[in-house]
Amino acid sequence: MYPETIEKLLLKVQKPGRYVGGEHGEAIKDKRQVDVRFAFCFPDIYEIGMSHLGIKILYSLFNEKPYIWCERVFAPWIDMEEQMRAHDIPLWALESGDPLSDFDFIGFTLQYELSYSNILNMLELGGIPLLSKDRHDLKHIVVAGGPCACNPEPITDFIDIFFLGDGEEVDLEVIELFRACKKEGKSREEFLRLASRIKGVYVPSLYDVTYNDDGTINAVTPRDGAPAVIEKRVMMNMDKSYYPDNFVVPNIEIVHDRAVEEIFRGCIRGCRFCQAGFLYRPVREKSVECISRQTHALCRNTGYDEVSLSSLSSSDYTQVVPMLKELNSWAKPENVSLSLPSLRVDGFSDDILNEIKTVRKSGLTFAPEAGSQRLRDAINKNVFEDELMNTCRVAFEGGYTTVKLYFMIGLPTETMDDVADIANLGKKVLDTFYSTPNRPKGKAPRVTLSASSFVPKPFTPFQWEPQDTMDTLREKQQHIKKSIVDNKISLSKMTYNYHDSDTSYLEAVFARGDRRLNAVMLEAHKKGIRFDGWSDCFSLKNWLEAFEACGIDPAFYANRRRSFDEILPWDHLDYGVTKDFLHRECERAYRSEASPNCREKCLGCGCTKYKGGVCYEKR
Amino acid sequence: MKNVRVFYRKDGACKYISHLDTNRVMLRAIGKSRLNIWRTEGFNQHAYITFALPLSLGFASECESMDFRILDDDEDLSAIPERMNACLPEGIRVFRCAEAVHKPADIESAKYAVQIEPMNENEISFSELSEKWRDFLSLPEIIVQKKTKKGMKDVDVKPYVLAFEMKEGEKAAFDLTLPAGSTLNINPNLLIDAFAQSVGIELYADITRVGIYIKGGEDFA
Repeated sequence: MYPETIEKLLLKVQKPGRYVGGEHGEAIKDKRQVDVRFAFCFPDIYEIGMSHLGIKILYSLFNEKPYIWCERVFAPWIDMEEQMRAHDIPLWALESGDPLSDFDFIGFTLQYELSYSNILNMLELGGIPLLSKDRHDLKHIVVAGGPCACNPEPITDFIDIFFLGDGEEVDLEVIELFRACKKEGKSREEFLRLASRIKGVYVPSLYDVTYNDDGTINAVTPRDGAPAVIEKRVMMNMDKSYYPDNFVVPNIEIVHDRAVEEIFRGCIRGCRFCQAGFLYRPVREKSVECISRQTHALCRNTGYDEVSLSSLSSSDYTQVVPMLKELNSWAKPENVSLSLPSLRVDGFSDDILNEIKTVRKSGLTFAPEAGSQRLRDAINKNVFEDELMNTCRVAFEGGYTTVKLYFMIGLPTETMDDVADIANLGKKVLDTFYSTPNRPKGKAPRVTLSASSFVPKPFTPFQWEPQDTMDTLREKQQHIKKSIVDNKISLSKMTYNYHDSDTSYLEAVFARGDRRLNAVMLEAHKKGIRFDGWSDCFSLKNWLEAFEACGIDPAFYANRRRSFDEILPWDHLDYGVTKDFLHRECERAYRSEASPNCREKCLGCGCTKYKGGVCYEKR
Repeated sequence: MKNVRVFYRKDGACKYISHLDTNRVMLRAIGKSRLNIWRTEGFNQHAYITFALPLSLGFASECESMDFRILDDDEDLSAIPERMNACLPEGIRVFRCAEAVHKPADIESAKYAVQIEPMNENEISFSELSEKWRDFLSLPEIIVQKKTKKGMKDVDVKPYVLAFEMKEGEKAAFDLTLPAGSTLNINPNLLIDAFAQSVGIELYADITRVGIYIKGGEDFA
């Protein structure tokens, strides 16, 4: 449902379907019959937010409880925001059409740093006081979870509670506590203090941070009995973990418009740049039987005829081929097609190809991440050139002609030679096409090289590393271009694109920022900054002005090499991996040494303490 | 195999589902309802559905229709509305299912129930608005800019106003019958926009398609 007041405005904005709800599968309840109203906010537009798996899981989980009504809220696109501000219409939730200010909980998912500015904007549009300290009484509890909660320091002034790790249990525990506190007439402060006792809950207002003269952190001190270290929550039995058997099926096309089944959580690889690979340890798989049952129910209930089997590295699922065969036993007769994203170069086989073969042959995408073997070893990508060429050959023989390769530039230890090797690797893929006898005849191959800029992230072995300056990154981008020309590669067969380094810079600042960035966030919000993830809205210039107004040097966070004994802003948060392990991995990177994956050899990252998953698999 | 036509209403939030998205919503509803319908057999196989007359974004309708082929000749058509409604969003309700009588190409006109009001309240009274609209429609010619494949073109739409009837009540409401179909289709907004321009007031129009007719004014069935 949507507020009556917007009816007249809907045809003045693009895609009005974003703002009206009314989808099949939405949860409609009587607000007088529930104890807790939870507004699940995704700080981006409908089409992006509705594609996100986490919101689907938690939405259904919350709404299964009769006393909770969880609704969805998305960021209005700038055209709608303009209308809302002009007509004084507060941000509403899609199910009831009620303004955000009617809710007990306002929950945000933190998927990427560049969405932070939208959080402030959404709070303001919803009529919620921006600063935690300005919110009183036991209502408007602003909570947040998701990957960026691993270093939430830059937004601690705005959020009351962060959830660390898997949300399936901890979120409900906090909601239950709230319900009890409300019944007992407890104060907001009392509720927050009690919440901080729950494992996986971080109440930032209960911690004081002091700084050294050089700007680094001196100490983080808990107050009122809050724990000194906050541990993430982990769902250890994925088969028994809650998974929805139905989704809200959007009426308008969204980015990932299909059913999604999570096949496992975590990743065995430990690529040193990849935050997800460390945050979600240990690897926990679902059984083939469970995957098939859940997927079948989802397809039946939503009507989707396409399923994406989601994980961080699909081909690392131990039973990947048996799983695909089992799924196809019902999927084929029911005309449901399977897709397996995040395939590794070395996990691509004929068997898999046969099971996921769809009629439409689009291109294949792989991520070697670095051009040279030396650098791939240093970042622990563990992909070898001959594997890539073999895989491409299999793909070409299977009729594919388009290959997309993803790389990062600005990786630690990278030299200009490593950068030039990106173009060389692309050329070798083209050569492989022409040396494949059974290649598609009469078709030209096409290789796309895509280079993004490396952003050092917390809880990775590169968390101490400086990001390349924007000048260096631009130089490297141009160097690839030059290498393509030097190699005399036809531009009709090779496309090269690179991501804007400006956004990567801002991402680097906020990814490893501390509490002093809260002031910058607020200043940026006052300047009207939002939708930083959208190139049509992002302006680094505006951001730099905000930094300057607050007297903060962004390079301190992005481009400074941190010492191994420095207290990092996120050191009081525990995601299982120890700082000592990350340090060891970083030293190995300096020696260009790869590490074995979790199934080959345990490296003692610290996650065995969760007593399950890959750490205890039979080998 | 039977050629089947379902008739449905589209309103509320579902007014804002575009034609392309309506196609997707219907395909998923059919998938979920497990109706066994004919699928294309070409390169990219998919369930085959067609729509007689697309509906503009933002319009409600009481008379939309969609065609498909039921593979099982013994299928109970009277059960189909309920089966599909269980799989559709609230704003789309199938109310009838029958074998198709007419061809979509037979469609000649459509009737719209329109309610207009000023975008900014109190800018003009409803009675005055009704008056002006009546005057507008009695002009000898109504030239509007119509987008065609060859660019913008000035067209006199006056001859296309097949029927027009003001409705009693407090609001400025009327029924308007205009040519519809694949050869000549006049969108009521064409007239309303031209009217808004002539009176210099930004208008909001609530439009519902209430009837689709073939030659001779018979209901499309």
